[in-house]
Amino acid sequence: MIRFTWLQFRVQARVAVAALLAFAVVLMVTGPHLAGMYAGSGITACHGGACEAAAGRFLSRLAITGPYPIVYELGIGLILAVPAIVGIFWGAPLIARELENRTFALAWTQSITRTRWILVKLALTGLAAVAVTETLSLIYSWWAEPISKAISLQGPYPVASEFGGGRLSLVIFASHGITPLGYAAFGFALGTATGALIRRPVPAMAVTLAIFAAAQIAMPLRIRPHLIPPARTIASGPSFVQSAGVNLGNLTATVVPGQPGAWIISSGAINAAGQPVTTVPAPCIPPPPAKPPDPGHCMDSRGIREAITYQPASRYWPFQWIETGIFLALALVLAAFCFWRLGRRRT
Amino acid sequence: MSFVIEARGLGKQYGRRWALRDCTLALPAGRVVGLVGPNGAGKTTLLHLTVGLLAPTSGSIRVLGTPPAEGPEQLGRVGFVAQDTPVYARLSVAQHLRMGAWLNPSWDRQIAESRIEKLDLDPRQRAGTLSGGQRAQLALTLAIAKRPECLILDEPVASLDPLARREFLRSLMEVVAAQGMSVVLSSHLIADLERVCDYLVVLAGSRVQVAGEVSELLASHHRLSGARRDASSLPASQEVIEESHTDKQSTFLVRTSDPVHDPAWTVRPVTLDDLVIAYMSRPAACERAHQPQLKVMS
Repeated sequence: MIRFTWLQFRVQARVAVAALLAFAVVLMVTGPHLAGMYAGSGITACHGGACEAAAGRFLSRLAITGPYPIVYELGIGLILAVPAIVGIFWGAPLIARELENRTFALAWTQSITRTRWILVKLALTGLAAVAVTETLSLIYSWWAEPISKAISLQGPYPVASEFGGGRLSLVIFASHGITPLGYAAFGFALGTATGALIRRPVPAMAVTLAIFAAAQIAMPLRIRPHLIPPARTIASGPSFVQSAGVNLGNLTATVVPGQPGAWIISSGAINAAGQPVTTVPAPCIPPPPAKPPDPGHCMDSRGIREAITYQPASRYWPFQWIETGIFLALALVLAAFCFWRLGRRRT
Repeated sequence: MSFVIEARGLGKQYGRRWALRDCTLALPAGRVVGLVGPNGAGKTTLLHLTVGLLAPTSGSIRVLGTPPAEGPEQLGRVGFVAQDTPVYARLSVAQHLRMGAWLNPSWDRQIAESRIEKLDLDPRQRAGTLSGGQRAQLALTLAIAKRPECLILDEPVASLDPLARREFLRSLMEVVAAQGMSVVLSSHLIADLERVCDYLVVLAGSRVQVAGEVSELLASHHRLSGARRDASSLPASQEVIEESHTDKQSTFLVRTSDPVHDPAWTVRPVTLDDLVIAYMSRPAACERAHQPQLKVMS
């Protein structure tokens, strides 16, 4: 059954390997120069505050240098898209095509049980899906390492924002570490289960795309922030506002004091009575001819503080494990559904 | 006597509709059994239950003494050619044979290869580009090269032209003669099966209408015609399968194990075609058709 699965799968597998190799070549060609730019930017030998400046300079230069911003975004886009592609083109037709073309009647009357047939198909193709996605993620992480390092060195007030935020930022998080593996397993199992349910490949492909996209959007926006109860803090004192930790437009926090790289879930200013404050109080904004205001001191003297809920950067790996675990568990449930759906009572 | 298929009260329900109902059958081994019935009569359902593609809603079925698709060994003992002879369009003929060899421990490479050669099929040709007849032959090759004890074919010739039809049945009979396996094949036309089968099952309205040895069926059915009279006036030993009346004349197709002596009748033998048509159009209960032989009432 393993050999036969390969016989049916090899065209798709070759396409995937060819695409992976093509992208790997792009990374191999541009990678050394990127590393060279990083080494030449003085980041490696910097100390203290100089590092922030050096990292900012490196990223600003990189943002206007040839293919790097494009390759950087392309890589993230690919890692986020490959699980969906795998679900649509490997998962959805895997069983649906057998049902539509009625070849299941040929397949399931060979000297091999249906359970074994489904098991081998799901396991082999699923492993290939996970392997392709994780390989892509690993070679990309290798390539983007100088950029990731520079972003983390850049400190709380980024000079260059072209390369996105820190490791916990929405898109970066899902495209690095082990989460791509979870998304790949989920995407593939989702496609397969949808195909087993709908029994026709093309509608199954469309439904797979819709559900996967919804999951990919809902996870960072609705679910991930609550996977671990967020930490809360009240930031106060003039220096906090002064050092641009607060967006003066709507008084939301942009950094968490003492928590570099933290992921801010929600924030807002409150007054001494604990009521929300959404704009800088008028007395704290002097008329134009006056000297630039010091809203920090002014607001602090009025008892205005910033309430922040956030996830500390140190929770990166717990979050990676939990999210990967969730998607792997979903993949297993969907795989179990395939067995149930293809049972002899329901075919 | 050993049986290929033994079904007891077998039924399969889809939603609220019964595709097959109350089917009790015992098909003897070593025969070529024809399963005839109109489209939608439940033939495919019965055959899918037989090869284990489906599980019954009610009743039980045993094939070669064990429940269908119970394990790899049981699957290996039954060969199946599904309706419209599905094959993998993108795989070549040779790749299909490799599939057969990989998935069936009992695979006989020689049978497979010599058949492909004899059929003049190009092993490198993709199955999707084969003609209907060639595709059916490929599907048959896959089913017989695993050396099954029992071969099941679901409307194998329905979509073939008359020439390919004859060719297919001829090669099927060659295989049966050479390997001596039991065969069950279905069709909605008795004409397709008349020449090959020696046992007949008529399925209509989701129920088995009649089952028996072809020669016995022909011997026990008669067409009676004579002056008009009511079916109830016939002796109880004569089961009326079909009746038609004009103003003056009545014609009955009856089943009886006794000779018909009534001088009022002109008695003629029936053809298999007449018999099948009569049963197909008869709305009868499965169990009634299954009463083995009616008792002689004196």
